[in-house]
This record gives sequence, structure tokens and C-alpha cells, in this order.
Amino acid sequence: MTEIDCEQVLERVWSYLDGEITEEAYREIQAHVAECEGCGTRYDFQRRLFELVERKCKEGPIPSELKERLFRLLEG
Amino acid sequence: MGAGTRALHRATEMGAVVLAQQREYTAEDRERFEAMVSEHLDGLFGASLRLTRNRSRAEDLLQETFLRAWRSFHTFRPGTNVRAWLYRILMNAYIDGYRKSEREPEVVDQEDVDEFYLYSKVHESEDYRRAGNPEEVLLNNLMDADVKGALQSLPETFRNVVILADIEGFSYKEIAEILGIPIGTVMSRLHRGRRQLQVKLWEYARRAHYVGTEPRPGGTESTP
Repeated sequence: MTEIDCEQVLERVWSYLDGEITEEAYREIQAHVAECEGCGTRYDFQRRLFELVERKCKEGPIPSELKERLFRLLEG
Repeated sequence: MGAGTRALHRATEMGAVVLAQQREYTAEDRERFEAMVSEHLDGLFGASLRLTRNRSRAEDLLQETFLRAWRSFHTFRPGTNVRAWLYRILMNAYIDGYRKSEREPEVVDQEDVDEFYLYSKVHESEDYRRAGNPEEVLLNNLMDADVKGALQSLPETFRNVVILADIEGFSYKEIAEILGIPIGTVMSRLHRGRRQLQVKLWEYARRAHYVGTEPRPGGTESTP
């Protein structure tokens, strides 16, 4: 397995968290992050920031009245 | 995909609308359509709200999306990605008629902004460092309004991609198909959008003086 350094690990943080890298690269980064505290805390912060943005921006379910109104449109 | 192909993309969809107006759907078609679309309405409604930032405009956009999807239902190929198909119709309807007409926010100069901008800022901040666990304090105190405000402050081309990736959870390839743009453009808009989002979040965090004060009402948790 080729060793990757911190710079290479950090610049791929978004591709990694988005699941947009190869299986091999994923495993390499995962191993590095588990052992390197500096990269580990940075990765952890990014992951939590993504979760925060998703949670804070989620909107509630569609109101049932609106859903019914949409389906009624198909009846005409 | 270039502008020409994109125009064709939309023209084809509009062509499908015209065809469908002469097309008779059966009761069975309607049942299949309802079953297929039903589970995606929560997501589409949320996305409409985030795009239009206004409840009544969001309802109009969702209705337009729903009707366009119904009219072009016969062009949907079973076994392909329903959710991406619906979001493509949503984004086209939004771009055609519901896009906000106000002046676009400026793109922040991002020369010194990297993926870890926010992390670095809290660690450089005297106030945050004094608090002991800077990133914890920041994450616990950012309010719904801060995050929504930061998202809304993004230029539209960035915001659309950030919404599709970070809130709707689409892959880069799906976003490329939904918006009719190359994957490289998706990545560049997403990365620039996320950087600008962090710049905005830091502005809110700094302005709110989170450190050394009681947690603000509405913050997620109390700070230790």
C-alpha cells in the first residue's frame, strides 16, 4: 500500500465524505485518519459540519392538505 | 453539456408537455404515477422551500413540478432514477419561472479560503481558544437561522448545487444530470459554494459573540 501524506489526505476531505473516491483511496485515507490526530480532528469537524447543515436546513414533511390538493389535480 | 444541449434538454421536456396534452392517460397510469411520486413529495416540498425561500411560491413551484411530471410521465423509463428525474423537472421549472429576480449576491473572494477555513478560524480565535473546545462551542451554538441565512447568501448557481449535494444527498453524477452540466462544473460549484458557506458561517459566529456568554435561545445544546 502506498503511503499518503497529510496534505493529500486533507485536500480530499470532501471527495471522501461525499463517497466520491475509489474504494482503495477510501481505505488509505480511513487508515491515515485513524492514526493521525491532526487529520482525524479536522475530518471529524467537517463531518459534523455537514451533519449540522443538513439538519438545520431540512424542512418538515409536505402538509397533507397540499398533498391531497396535488393529487386532486389529476382527477380532472 | 453545453448551453445548446441544455436548451435542447429543456425543449425536449417542453415538447413532451405539448404531446402529453393530447395524450389520454388511463386510471391505471394515474395510480402508477401517484405511487411513484408520492414518496418523493416531502423531499420536493423541502427543496421548493429552500429554492424559493417563500411558502406560497414554494407551493406554486411544487404544483408546477407535479403537473410537468404528470404530463411527461409517458417519457419516464421504468427502472431509471425516479428521484433524479423529478428533481430535474423541479430545477427546470424553478429556472424557467420561479428564480428570484433580485440582484445576485456577490461571490466572496476565496483566495485564502480552503476546505478547513472554519476550523482554522475557530482555532486562531483567542475567544474560542479560551473556551477550551473551540469547534464544540461553535457547532453547538450555530442556530437554524445562521445556517439557513448562510445558505441563502450564496450566489444561486452555487446554492443550487450545495442544496442538491448537502441537503438532498445526490451524487456528483446525479447532480450533473439534474442540472445538465458537466461533473467538473458540479465539483467546482460545490467546492466554491461550501467555501463561501464557511466564510458566512464564520461571520455569523463572530458577530454573535458566542464565547463567554450564555447559549443563545434556540441554539441546539447548552455549552459545557
